[in-house]
Amino acid sequence: MNKCRIQIVKFLIYLGLVTLTVTSNAITVQDDAPDFTLKSLQGENLRLNEYRGRVVLLNFWASWCGPCRQEMPLLDRIHKRYQDAGFAVLSVNVEGDPIPARALAQETGVSFPVLIDSGQKISELYELEAMPSSVLIDRDGVVRYIHRGYQPGDEAQYLKVVKQLIKE
Amino acid sequence: MLRIHLTVLYLILCCSLLDRPLHGEQLDTQMEEIKQSLIELKRDLLILEEELLYPASSQVAVYLSMNVGDFFNLDSVTLKLNGKEVSHYLYTELQIDALYRGGVQRLFIGNVKQGSNRISAFFIGKGPNGREYKRAATAEFEKNFEPTFVELKISDSTAKYQPDFVVSVSS
Repeated sequence: MNKCRIQIVKFLIYLGLVTLTVTSNAITVQDDAPDFTLKSLQGENLRLNEYRGRVVLLNFWASWCGPCRQEMPLLDRIHKRYQDAGFAVLSVNVEGDPIPARALAQETGVSFPVLIDSGQKISELYELEAMPSSVLIDRDGVVRYIHRGYQPGDEAQYLKVVKQLIKE
Repeated sequence: MLRIHLTVLYLILCCSLLDRPLHGEQLDTQMEEIKQSLIELKRDLLILEEELLYPASSQVAVYLSMNVGDFFNLDSVTLKLNGKEVSHYLYTELQIDALYRGGVQRLFIGNVKQGSNRISAFFIGKGPNGREYKRAATAEFEKNFEPTFVELKISDSTAKYQPDFVVSVSS
């Protein structure tokens, strides 16, 4: 009888796992942030998983996007302020072409790494629905906050979450 | 809809099974048994997944290793199988260091048809004197019923003061 119960529970657990794995693949809060490696404008290859232990703000942007241009200097300020506390901004240009990305990075004078998503594979991986999009990832590589779009004043929300994650 | 029904059924049955009162020791033993079964199930699923996704008759696995790189600083590797790109991997400094220390990377695992196949690897990096370097290495192999293993090896050729790129196939 006990063995029978264990077999039934085993089957149900398997069924549950199968059910859960076939549901949607969209990134949500509490998911592990999908790992990737991209080349930066400086020519360095940077991998997301190598930032474990730090809070990461992953920002997706394009040079043609007005709100992205507004947001970048603000992200740079947050990056500079909290860098020594274990925080990093990684910005990903979704156009795949380094020329407009380099031009905007130079214009805004940002200090965080700008990564080029050649082939738009990472944008697909993170299923971007808006531009810009920001994903806050904690020290364990777990997605904790997703912000789509940008309006002046949104940086206050970023700051709130960044401070909370840094304190953890 | 089917997924929702299955999830609800699963939850209902789990609740009904856990509803019966159990003595403390009995419960602990059963919990341990369930955990053990779960571990075994996970292991079985992993092996089953590999066998289903990559059966030996069509499996090809590509591994990369690197000798001490005085003459070549690896940046990325692109792999093509029968003319189709199957992998493009960028290496960070930590990963390069791991390769120097003797690490072997499984760059790709996939399926190919039986018979004649062609594998090409394109290595991009910095060569002697910091020059941009792009080299290719190609191998043809016959796929049979056994899993096929391809080794990409980057080593220094002190005779030529150049890096050497070798592709070797074993089945």
